[in-house]
Amino acid sequence: MIQAALDAPVAAETKPDDLRAQVSSLSRSKGEPDWLLAFRLANLEHALGMEWWTGQEESWRRTPRERLPRRARVGRIAALGNSAEITAPPHVFAPHAHAGLVHQIDGRVASSDLAARAAADGVIIQPLSVAARQHPGLLQEWLGAVGPPLDRYDAFGRALWTQGVFVYAPRGVVVDESLFYLVTQDVSQGDHWHYTLIVAERESQVSLIDAGDANDRSAVLDESPLIHASVELIAQDGAHLQFASVQRWHRQTAAISTTRGRVGRDASIRVTTAAFGADLDKQRIDMDMSQSGGFAEIRGLFVGDGKQHIEHVTTQHHKGVGATSDLLIRGVLTDDSQAVQYGLIRIEPEGQKTNAHQTMRNLLLDDGAGADPIPMLEIEADDVKCSHAAAVGPVDPDQLFYLQARGIPPRVAERMVVRGFLSEIADGVADEHMREVIDELVEIQLDPKGVS
Amino acid sequence: MTPPPLFEIDALQVAVEDKQIVNGLSLTLRPGEVHAIMGPNGSGKSTLANALMGHPRYTVNGGDIRLAGESVIELAPDERARAGLFLAFQYPTDIPGVSMINFLRRAMTARRGEEIPVREFRQVLNQVLGRLQMDEQFVRRYVNDGFSGGEKKRAEILQLGLLQPLVAVMDETDSGLDIDALRIVSEGINTFHSDDNAILLITHYQRILRYVQPDHVHVLIDGRIVESGDASLAERLERGGYEPFMERTRERALSS
Repeated sequence: MIQAALDAPVAAETKPDDLRAQVSSLSRSKGEPDWLLAFRLANLEHALGMEWWTGQEESWRRTPRERLPRRARVGRIAALGNSAEITAPPHVFAPHAHAGLVHQIDGRVASSDLAARAAADGVIIQPLSVAARQHPGLLQEWLGAVGPPLDRYDAFGRALWTQGVFVYAPRGVVVDESLFYLVTQDVSQGDHWHYTLIVAERESQVSLIDAGDANDRSAVLDESPLIHASVELIAQDGAHLQFASVQRWHRQTAAISTTRGRVGRDASIRVTTAAFGADLDKQRIDMDMSQSGGFAEIRGLFVGDGKQHIEHVTTQHHKGVGATSDLLIRGVLTDDSQAVQYGLIRIEPEGQKTNAHQTMRNLLLDDGAGADPIPMLEIEADDVKCSHAAAVGPVDPDQLFYLQARGIPPRVAERMVVRGFLSEIADGVADEHMREVIDELVEIQLDPKGVS
Repeated sequence: MTPPPLFEIDALQVAVEDKQIVNGLSLTLRPGEVHAIMGPNGSGKSTLANALMGHPRYTVNGGDIRLAGESVIELAPDERARAGLFLAFQYPTDIPGVSMINFLRRAMTARRGEEIPVREFRQVLNQVLGRLQMDEQFVRRYVNDGFSGGEKKRAEILQLGLLQPLVAVMDETDSGLDIDALRIVSEGINTFHSDDNAILLITHYQRILRYVQPDHVHVLIDGRIVESGDASLAERLERGGYEPFMERTRERALSS
């Protein structure tokens, strides 16, 4: 209630000067250094100079844009700064064991820790604003280093973020267990802007699991909240970086994310995303393969129900020699849910000996469900191996018959085939606990009543 | 005293996409019996096998199928299986992502109507695996995924041994097997066979019948049984082929 004055929504039409003032006040309230405020303001100017979309862009054409809020609001909680550590409700993804963890709810830090060994090795996992004070050199070097924002959401995200995490693995350090970044969406607080940066120095190995949950999934909201995440992944030469993102946001949420990876020489980045919540989930994943011998993997899993729209827009951009990238998206759609996959493999003239592949498979379980997978190739080098495959269809009736012929009832048989179909992606998640949770969420999403 | 029939196919008619394939086929299996249905390509062997199990692509447009005296014609495939009917597939379907062990446990649970204790499951599983000379690691693999032809057929016999059906329909189980695999698979069938169950071997060739002795042999031409006899009928087929029977069928068709 005390926050009422600050809670006033700032719509996109808000005067630029007001937005500038709010970003400044947000940065001050978080105790940020001057360079970070300058970074925010520069991105804000960038955003203000952009359009949301024209609708003609390949990356926006297939999006039901009427379901996306076109607004940039400074998170309402901004004024609280970092003053209070708070108690968050149980998080569905909370791990049993981990090397390090940051849990944030609505921009405030609920908990943060790091195993002694990892800390001794110089590993960092910190809320981004804390890292900005404690490790300014690293952040100044790497924040935004993946390149200019890809769209207006991405640009606003860099300016308006109220929560985020910084993960760092020093040269040669191998972090055995996964690090966790848990976010609890406070559904009473409207829009959220997240910013994640992972830097894996040469020959290091690190894995972050980014998991989003909502504090109240049954609340009926007056307005669809917007959740945006900018994720920047840097794998220096010979480093191996894994990033797994899993969300079950409140079902009225419009979720947009921009995940960008920069793969060094002989380095690898593996990205896995699993989408369960939100009304609309639009994920943009771009892999920059400008060094030789790099490896990038993009894995996407989703189970849609109701009227959910789940969209992947990906780019595998090859400039280095002999790099490999592989995309695999597998989704299951029930009810009237819809999916879009627009996947581009772009190989520049210098990207010889590239191996690039993409596979998109969509299982439709109901008549109202639909999917539109679009693989695209733009190849300017002549000595490359590329493949793409896209499929949309029902569960294979021969598979169902085989299971039924062994006494397994049709509903159980269908469930087995569907879970098997998704397991290729779920099994690739490094953390066992996370695999189990994904499995459970697949079950719940396939049958909200819990009947099996 | 003759025991009551265990499995009766009664004037069965089956069509696939409006084409009539099985034309009034009747057959009775009593407990303890092994029957072989032999027929050339296109005679309706696989259509019969799939229709018996209730495959949705096959339309039964006449006749009845009774298991232990009860009609199963209206039952779904899973209900038929739980009632004790088994089909060993000619081409077992691969199901990536579903492990054999998970599949086998679910199938056994379904057949028994109750959860099978883990220890008991392990015990029975290892017993049958050993008998079929299969490695324990085999069940960690996905159902039929990347299996060789021989592995697929052994996996079918593994399921037969675990599920203990009343009636087993074996669709071309011998096809694609080398001589060693054929011997192991046949031993698996013989071990399963008892006075309480019955086996229907559907085959093109006579060679499996050297290992699994049939009590009755039937010749299938154009979806009908045109001749029945004892094991010596199979030997006659081996020597003379199907042509004489097909000839007779054509003559009959012309004269009718």
